[in-house]
Amino acid sequence: MTTLEVRNLTKKFHGVLAVDDVSFTLTAGRTVALVGASGSGKSTIARMIARLVHPTSGEILLTGPEGVPLPRRSYRDHVQMIFQDPFASLNPFHTVEHHLARPLRLHGRSRTEVPSLLERVSLSPDLARRRPHELSGGQRQRVAIARALAPGARVIIADEPVSMLDVSIRLGILKLLARLQREEDLAVLYITHDLATARHFSDEVLVMHQGRIVERGPSDDVLVRPQDPYTRQLAAAAPNPEARFREGGPS
Amino acid sequence: MTWSGKLVTGLGLAALIVLFGLFGPLFTGDPATIRDIGLTPPGGEHLLGTTLTGQDVLAQLAHATRGSLWIGVLVGVMATVLSGVFGIVGAYAGGVVDEAFSLFSNVMLVIPGLPLVIVVAGFVPADQRGTWTISLVLAITGWAAAARVLRAQTLSLRNRDYVAAARVSGERTWRVICVEILPNLLPLLASQFVFAVVLAILSEAGLSFLGLGAANSSTLGTMLYYAQNGFALQREAWWWFVPPGLIIALFGGALALINFSIDEIINPKLRDRARRKRDVVAATAEVAPAEPGAVLTVRNLNVVYQGDNPVHAVKDVSLTLRRGEILGLAGESGCGKTTLAYAINRLHRPPAEVTSGSVTFEDVDVLALGPEELREFRWVRLSMVFQGAMNSLNPVTPIRAQLQDVLRTHRPGMSTPDRELRCAEVLRLVGVDPARLGAYPHELSGGMRQRVMIAMALLLDPQVMIMDEPTTALDVLVQREILNEIKRLRDELGFAVVFITHDLPLLLELSDRIAVMRDGEVVEYADAEDLYLRPQHPYTRELLASFPSLTGEPGALTR
Repeated sequence: MTTLEVRNLTKKFHGVLAVDDVSFTLTAGRTVALVGASGSGKSTIARMIARLVHPTSGEILLTGPEGVPLPRRSYRDHVQMIFQDPFASLNPFHTVEHHLARPLRLHGRSRTEVPSLLERVSLSPDLARRRPHELSGGQRQRVAIARALAPGARVIIADEPVSMLDVSIRLGILKLLARLQREEDLAVLYITHDLATARHFSDEVLVMHQGRIVERGPSDDVLVRPQDPYTRQLAAAAPNPEARFREGGPS
Repeated sequence: MTWSGKLVTGLGLAALIVLFGLFGPLFTGDPATIRDIGLTPPGGEHLLGTTLTGQDVLAQLAHATRGSLWIGVLVGVMATVLSGVFGIVGAYAGGVVDEAFSLFSNVMLVIPGLPLVIVVAGFVPADQRGTWTISLVLAITGWAAAARVLRAQTLSLRNRDYVAAARVSGERTWRVICVEILPNLLPLLASQFVFAVVLAILSEAGLSFLGLGAANSSTLGTMLYYAQNGFALQREAWWWFVPPGLIIALFGGALALINFSIDEIINPKLRDRARRKRDVVAATAEVAPAEPGAVLTVRNLNVVYQGDNPVHAVKDVSLTLRRGEILGLAGESGCGKTTLAYAINRLHRPPAEVTSGSVTFEDVDVLALGPEELREFRWVRLSMVFQGAMNSLNPVTPIRAQLQDVLRTHRPGMSTPDRELRCAEVLRLVGVDPARLGAYPHELSGGMRQRVMIAMALLLDPQVMIMDEPTTALDVLVQREILNEIKRLRDELGFAVVFITHDLPLLLELSDRIAVMRDGEVVEYADAEDLYLRPQHPYTRELLASFPSLTGEPGALTR
């Protein structure tokens, strides 16, 4: 089983602690949700795991299926990231084919796998010739997911993968991620500010506030019966029409 | 791409001159042949006449054009490569490399170009001053400004997610620059190349005219130099100096036109500026009698984005806003909700056009208002909080000035202490300490700035506020505070609100009535409770199902 362990990860930007001593483990077949408000340090963690930002201190350890640590140079074969904004994460100049063929080639695979990659994310292989501006937001995000799968990654970091999408297609994308995770036994880190989807699409939840993890545990426990005052506040702040109409609460 | 007149004219002229430079010398004979027919006016054997020493001006012109173009292209290529290396590579690499490259570009930029060229060209002995030397000197003095522009653009591109994605997939740095960044800089590079060519041809002409040009070369500049030395002007031999001057001017003009067109391709906003009018309201139907208690009535409103493919953004929308009511307008991106809000406020800009329908505010026909009446209506009776409004505060003035500006414009009679009092009062209303009046926007958090925007919308006691996604960019906790604030203010001040968002659960909690929009149409319009408990339209049900409940059972959401 491929696992990614984050140990005492810390990042300072100009003296400000963006991420403060964070530790957790991603294991195959499980989704961990990282929830918190904007500025809580969630995306910085994603970027450190994706090796876009260097940690100030702490370790990120990747262990292969046989329990041996994997060498640094093959890190990107195993760990990939899905970005928040599919309108920004695809290069407007290049075709869908380019976006998938490059990572395939870089990781020793053949570009003939492009059609099957598109099918894995429920897109028609005909889309390969199109450019990003010819695709809808949902289609773009599916292409971005296919790109993350292309190197054969076993660990996927999904940084707010649906928050820039129209509401009616969000669940479809989340269900796709859940299906891929189940079928291919991936380790997934789902970063979001939306507690409801975090609860339904993850096994474990980490709640972040000002760079620290303030509460963690199985998703139902943390989000339905929160202990930490900050988590409670977050849970209470989400709009809840249920309370207004079904339980006769004040309007 | 449609071919604009500018582009066609520019390309046509430039192509003619390039063809003349390429093929002219093949047909015009030797430009150096001296004949004893000095200063023959145009006509007969010599179409453009002859020089003082009887050389054919047309033949000279053809060779000179070729020489000038060659220098232009050489310098264009070299300057573009230099600016690319220093601008793009520096910006992408960042850190010390960027600092060093940027410092170097800046130093090159402040050195005045032409004097340096004259000094350098003057130092190189005339017999070693070939075309390449001159081109190199011109390129070295001419790349820096372009490098700065490229650096700024690359700095913005390197932070794009697609560049980060390429790095995550393991692309090497040079490939990220060449394959991911460079293609997106192409229009910019093209326009800078064109500019460098024009500049080189002009500078070379200037140098040659001063006798500092390339030795043994023939360019439009050397032609002018000889014409000057042969007293062409005094001898009224216009055919000697007008043609080279004209070619320089025409070629410069042609390339400038091409550059304008490139700008228009990069920035489509420049394209149809000429077509734009101020405010477009095509048809105003008869004003329907308003329902009692209604403050704002929209009847069968249609808004179309005119163009080659007109887009019907708002289709036959009818809504009624009652006094003190919160009306939710729900819909996804592109459903027309923002266009509708703008049309109600008459803020829509061409190509958007209200093709039919009516907007009635109490007894005022909004679509029929003249410019002055409109100014008295907007913000005074109906104000708006825009999407991302918190970023639309002016960063360089304190919020006091920005609030007072509204009062100064709309209540010119108000005294300064009264204005101050009113500003403090509205800040207190939205839960911001009036002591913050002196603060600059960057000193306030996003939530605070959004409250200030709401305060600004409240300043003139409007009866209606339109709020377009006022909390979308904010945290859930801040959103909660602002929603509570809006409900409280509505109860205290009794104004009505049109609240626009894609977040249906939020509207269900906040609104009295909700209109669900899709593809420009209102597909369902009902009391919030009915909409929640008994949604009629399939799209409403789909939207409702898109928001899983935090506390409810997963149900259909099982993974």
